Amino acid sequence: MDIKSIIFVILALIFAPVAGGFLAGIDRRLTAWCQGRFGPPILQPFYDVFKLLGKDRQVVNTWQIFCAHIYLISSMLSLALFAMQSDLLMIFFVMTIGAVFMVIGALSTPSPYSQIGAQRELIQMLTYEPLLVIVFVGIYFVTGSFKISDIVAYDRPIFLILPLLYLVLTFALTIKLRKSPFDISACHHGHQEIVRGVLTEYSGPYLAILEIAHWYDIVLILAICSLFWTTSAIGMFFLLAITYLAEIVIDNITPRLTWKWMLTYVWAVGITLSLFNMALLYAKSF
Amino acid sequence: MVSQMVWVSIVLPFLAAIGCLIDSKPLRSILVVGTGVAVSLASLLLVQGQAFSLNPETIFGIPADGLIAVLDFALLFVILGISYQLKNKLIAVLTVLQIIPLAFLELFLHGAENTAPSIYGDQLSMIMSLIISIIGSLICIYGLSYMEEHEHHLHVEKSRQGRFFFFMVLFLGAMNGLVFANNLLWLYFFWEVTTLCSFMLIKHDGTDIAVANATRALWMNMLGGVAFILGLVILRAKGLPLALQELISTPGVASLALLPVGLLCFAGFTKSAQVPFQSWLCGAMVAPTPVSALLHSSTMVKAGVYLVIRLAPAFAGTLFSHYVALFGAFTFLTTALLAISQSNGKKILAYSTISNLGMIIACAGINTPAAMAAAILLIVFHAISKGLMFLCVGTIEQRIGSRDIEDMRGLIRIMPRTAMIAVIGMVTMFLPPFGALLSKWMAVEASARLPLVVLMLAIGSAFTMVFWGRWLGLVMTSVMGEAQEPEEQSPLVRVPLVILAAAAIVVSFVAPGLYSAMVLPVLERFYSTDLYIAAQGVFINNIGMFAVFPIFLVMVLGVAWAARASSGKRVHQRAYSTPYVAGLQDPANPQRIGFKGPLGQWANFTTSNYYMDAWIGEGRISGWINLISSGILIILLTGVL
Repeated sequence: MDIKSIIFVILALIFAPVAGGFLAGIDRRLTAWCQGRFGPPILQPFYDVFKLLGKDRQVVNTWQIFCAHIYLISSMLSLALFAMQSDLLMIFFVMTIGAVFMVIGALSTPSPYSQIGAQRELIQMLTYEPLLVIVFVGIYFVTGSFKISDIVAYDRPIFLILPLLYLVLTFALTIKLRKSPFDISACHHGHQEIVRGVLTEYSGPYLAILEIAHWYDIVLILAICSLFWTTSAIGMFFLLAITYLAEIVIDNITPRLTWKWMLTYVWAVGITLSLFNMALLYAKSF
Repeated sequence: MVSQMVWVSIVLPFLAAIGCLIDSKPLRSILVVGTGVAVSLASLLLVQGQAFSLNPETIFGIPADGLIAVLDFALLFVILGISYQLKNKLIAVLTVLQIIPLAFLELFLHGAENTAPSIYGDQLSMIMSLIISIIGSLICIYGLSYMEEHEHHLHVEKSRQGRFFFFMVLFLGAMNGLVFANNLLWLYFFWEVTTLCSFMLIKHDGTDIAVANATRALWMNMLGGVAFILGLVILRAKGLPLALQELISTPGVASLALLPVGLLCFAGFTKSAQVPFQSWLCGAMVAPTPVSALLHSSTMVKAGVYLVIRLAPAFAGTLFSHYVALFGAFTFLTTALLAISQSNGKKILAYSTISNLGMIIACAGINTPAAMAAAILLIVFHAISKGLMFLCVGTIEQRIGSRDIEDMRGLIRIMPRTAMIAVIGMVTMFLPPFGALLSKWMAVEASARLPLVVLMLAIGSAFTMVFWGRWLGLVMTSVMGEAQEPEEQSPLVRVPLVILAAAAIVVSFVAPGLYSAMVLPVLERFYSTDLYIAAQGVFINNIGMFAVFPIFLVMVLGVAWAARASSGKRVHQRAYSTPYVAGLQDPANPQRIGFKGPLGQWANFTTSNYYMDAWIGEGRISGWINLISSGILIILLTGVL
């Protein structure tokens, strides 16, 4: 590992939560605008997290604290591995550590709200994990490698070759962003039903840790999206901007749905789109 | 030196097993522990050396080949006797179907003179022998204390432990023989010994259900035995050598031998309980836990995948190979799905075992160097972690009286040590940077050119995460209260658990070295391109890389940091509160979570996992799974005709 990539990793680890927080702030403003409200200041997510960090600690058991920390570590590690341009599939598996520990943290308390939230979170992971693997395999089909260094070096925007797989990736992004219609495990809006699901039992500094880890995750998923347009910075920017705007629009125009619907719909549509895109690729190569 | 070590690993357990029949507890303990230490040392010494081949002319002064033939017939007639005792015509027919071809083969077919050595050991055999000798012995040692408790619990009048340990120890010898045998007739003999032992061990408790399940295991494995012996007859009839190494490494033989190789693979599928034969392994869960652990982690089922992996170079690049990949991936997917529908801990372990074996078979079918590396590594890591999990469930069951995972809620407060060890077992089964996940990563990357296979692996691995993740969480479910009491345990239980838990972590850490030293030499014989290189703790090939050491380093630091942050010193006792239940706690005792019902009756909150029984219950989907898998199996076998 040379000096350049070490610096790159450090920069990524410092700026990812900043970018994630800003994104959350902009997101809230735009959502408010969509709903005819004024909305909080752009920096509100940072104010929230700083305030949470200063609060008293309160937990049900030690495992919650342990799990929150592991979640943060694994999210940071997967982003660092991305910055080092290593293997996509490996990064995905490292990210799973955090997701699983988040569920364990929620399951470790006997509260019915967080228990149900954890079960739903597992279903959400079950929904997006195969899709992400399929997307990576699709990228491998085009570029011949799972290594980000080789994928970045590919000379055409992958988006133009795998447009449908990009759509599949945005399903995973929607679930990871906890946006409607897939916000079933930890949503603000479902509070009458499950309070805040997996996050119910977290408060104060530990909730702040989860929030920061979440920002890392979002930046990582967006970074994976950016691999679809690596040939020019402008193309990459527009791809990401349009994707995120579309996420906000979808969030605002769709209702929250059940896990059964989510699982069957996302798998059916996702797998069909993937197979269709693969078939197109095969057809072209003849 | 090598020949003595092989002798110790194969013949010593056979002799010690007979000693175990003497009903004396101290003698039995000495024999079991002594044999375990001896075979473990022998396997460790064998690893020091290179690949070897031996050709013992005589055993105890009797011509070796003749002795094996006589024992073969003796064994088959014993099974025939059992079928008479069970009044089971199916088993009788399947046994006769083996006796006749065997007699035909031994008496009438004299193919080319068998010049190949009878015993051959390369790094693959050595890895298998290490697993069998070390993990298998630990399980047997654990069994000493477990069976004591088990018989006490069942109020058995006259101890039947002699018989029990006879078959347990015999199993180790048979498995070692199986992995070192090069002569296929020898391999067949050891194969049938494991079938008989597993039958005897499954029906050990003698209950109706145990006998029924043991009978099912017997006929399914005998079906595999019929395929095995038919394969041998065809090989001999075609004038091909009845020797493993000659079969896979002589150029030109492979294309001639596809039908017998297909039959041998079929035998491997039955022994590894691939769908539609999964029911024998699930049924075997009625046996005492050490039996489940021995049969389903380190021995028995591993014999099947070992044979398929051994034969894989013989069918590389054929359509048959693709179908094997598809078949294995289908098993992986469907049994992982079935595992989600289960709340019985041992059933979950059983389905997860079949699922992992399916992935190994799929890797053998993908048949690229990366896939073969994944298959061999997965055998190792699965054996360690699954052996550990079985022993943990056994220990937990003897304490809490249930093997249902819903009853394991809050286990961390009742049995803190065993629960922590179980957590290590589960984490090493499905999370990075541990070996099982490393193999899964290799398998997915290797299968990337086979769309259907990679799709099934991707979905199946998400299922895997669901059932392990929630079990892990349940074990932790607790509210802080008074300090936890570490539970008391016999060292015969504690030591195997701790050794296996440590091994699960350490062997994962040294995976790159293990690969370079033990797996690479096996692969280099058959494949020249696209091999993984393990340098400085990182696996690299032309399409991917997995950084074992860096991830390990960061996660170890991370776990230390997380443990420090959650330690008693950092978190004040005041910080602990009770969970949020909208203010419905019992005001007198806030730890009690529930609500007052309509008549002032107290009701506790209860939550449970989603088992989705209405969707994916065993009874609901097993039929379909068996139907589809039988279809794939028939296509697979007609393909080689």
